[in-house]
Amino acid sequence: MSFIAGVDIGNSTTEVCVGEWAPNSGIHFLCSASCATTGTKGTPANIHGIREALNQAMESIGRELSDIALIRLNEAAPVIGDTAMETLTETIITDSSMIGHNPSTPAGAGQAVGKLLFMENLSRAAAHTPYIVAVPGTCSYEEAASALNRAAESLDIRGAILQADEAVLVENRLHRKIPIIDEVALLDRLKDGVEAAIEVALPGQSVRMLSNPYGIATLLHLNPEETHSVTPIAKSLIGKRSAVVLKTPGGNVRENVLPAGDIFLDAENGTLVSLDEGAEKIMQAVSGAGDIHDITGAPDTNVGNMFSRIRQGMSSLSQTPQADIRITDILAVDTLAPVLISGALAGETCLEKAVGIAAMVKTQKLPMENLSKKLQKELGMEVKIAGVEAVMASLGALTTPGTKLPLAILDMGGGSTDAAVISMEGKVVMTHQAGAGELVSMLIETELGLSDRHMAEQIKKYPLAKVESLFHMRMENGQMTFVEESIDPRFYGRVVLLTENGLIRMEKDIPMEKIVQVRREAKRKVFVTNALRALKKVAPKHNLKSLSNVVLVGGSAEDFEIPEMLMEEFAAWRMVCGRGNIRGQEGPRNAVATGLVLSYAGEMP
Amino acid sequence: MITKKPAIFIYVRNPDERMLKEICAGIEEEGVFYEIREVDLPSLDELAWQAANDSMPGSGIGILGNQAALQLRGLDKGRNAAVLEVFATSKVHVTASPQNHFSSMRFHETASLRDPDLAKCRILGSNSARAVKKMAFK
Repeated sequence: MSFIAGVDIGNSTTEVCVGEWAPNSGIHFLCSASCATTGTKGTPANIHGIREALNQAMESIGRELSDIALIRLNEAAPVIGDTAMETLTETIITDSSMIGHNPSTPAGAGQAVGKLLFMENLSRAAAHTPYIVAVPGTCSYEEAASALNRAAESLDIRGAILQADEAVLVENRLHRKIPIIDEVALLDRLKDGVEAAIEVALPGQSVRMLSNPYGIATLLHLNPEETHSVTPIAKSLIGKRSAVVLKTPGGNVRENVLPAGDIFLDAENGTLVSLDEGAEKIMQAVSGAGDIHDITGAPDTNVGNMFSRIRQGMSSLSQTPQADIRITDILAVDTLAPVLISGALAGETCLEKAVGIAAMVKTQKLPMENLSKKLQKELGMEVKIAGVEAVMASLGALTTPGTKLPLAILDMGGGSTDAAVISMEGKVVMTHQAGAGELVSMLIETELGLSDRHMAEQIKKYPLAKVESLFHMRMENGQMTFVEESIDPRFYGRVVLLTENGLIRMEKDIPMEKIVQVRREAKRKVFVTNALRALKKVAPKHNLKSLSNVVLVGGSAEDFEIPEMLMEEFAAWRMVCGRGNIRGQEGPRNAVATGLVLSYAGEMP
Repeated sequence: MITKKPAIFIYVRNPDERMLKEICAGIEEEGVFYEIREVDLPSLDELAWQAANDSMPGSGIGILGNQAALQLRGLDKGRNAAVLEVFATSKVHVTASPQNHFSSMRFHETASLRDPDLAKCRILGSNSARAVKKMAFK
């Protein structure tokens, strides 16, 4: 009788499984554990994490680490993935000519057109000229209101723009009501004397005139050419509660289409595809190219820089010269990124078209031999490198109750989506595809404009709720949850993530529905596309109908909605598809480690 | 049927006038009603708690001298949602008592170039109104 440990070193987690082997009774599983991978996969830095995980596992059955007779390491797939994103369009405002923003409390309603007049110049204003008064933040609401009231006796004042958040306070003190916009931070960038149009929407509505090019043309008397050039302004004001548009002589708003560049596919049927054509065209080119040797971008273009960034990152990670890095697969996804408009006055953003790309890089064989020798020396027990990752994962997945051969597995990790099929004869066909959990995080981060990858990862992992009172919150599926103990007021009115360690607050004010939509769309774009792509590659005759069982394993299979999405998708092919349950108890994790222990029995006489 | 106006109650005892004015401005900017009453209660916690419980929408503010507290119906007495203090030099001090949920709250500076300490009173007022409107606090 002896203890065998299977050790699976992944990009992010190290998983172990310990079993007992006896010649006549075969394998008997005892325990398993997992912990974060220390260092880069396949390097001696991993030993620390391996030891930690093994200790955890052995402790749970009250045994010592030294009781293990043999460690079986996986021959990790020599692929690593990376992601990159590039915007394809950009909006530039020259000479600051618009403000469209959403202060929560503008005042008054309607449109107004007039010459811009700074508060301090009120005394110099001419009668019978319509004015829009700009009030700096140094002026209190009482001063502003009384000055405007006094001025209104002799001047034609149509509207006001405030720097401070005091629109309602000022409006409540005015004798004659006018539309007022507040919270315009960069008020000093406005120019005295230019023609300005402001609009505050009616309660519950959004601006109508200024989000319409002809509306702007009507208010500011534009000619057809000028009307054409304000279209991007109108577009970016859609959905806002209040807006300002200035008519500056030299002012202009341009929507630039950046030279995105071409992608070269060095493959069996080598082709060239432009990034501008969008994700769908790129993916068609990739799937039609056959075996891909390498993918590059035209030098000095966006896409070229993107690929060289990936190459650089991968080369420093795997310690191979950049020239030896081969990108063998990419997954491109269309996305929209809110980008700060250059030249804006109040921090406005504009949704720009962008493409996110996950690339997969084949590296040389990972230096596993070296690692195994070091591990053997440090732990003082026999260490063996056994089998290919996909084979081991398939073996492990077969321990899911209700599975049979032929079996397909879909291993959805952080960096890549792998698929393998074991036939009745035990033959394994496998593939690695670029794009998995990390690309989903990147898409969530960009589309919500978070600039915080950690938060994006959390959004990916946990369901949302909105705290509606101190004693209840509404879940994203509409269900209400009531709590005994009052919720911390810090969460009041916020969108929160429901994690196992309590609530996490969303700092940015984004509606819950929008976050849910972005999250689900990102998962669908990456995993549904990739699952179909991967399974088609490994299915006999590339026909999905020939697969009857698909077991989902790997970190992303633990997700609370990805497996359901795939199940729905695959229902059309009448296959059994579901989250794996390794050994009937581990869920989708631990497949490779389990496979490593199981394969030991197969090697015994 | 609702017969009372849905107003935020502000219960005060010898309030610092600048503080009271800024808090009211904060509520007014958010477009919510408020009522001010002189109430003879011994402590800041009692003033705020009573105000929150008497207010129809359940949001109340207590001001005792140079201190103010925001309280919401449902929170225990003394577990104020926010507490502020203005000193004679007009410095507002955010007390960090262990039972004060908001000790870690970050106050956004407004674009206003006026006294940044009184701006915090404005935010306290806004937040009492935002609680009524079921909006996230500033």
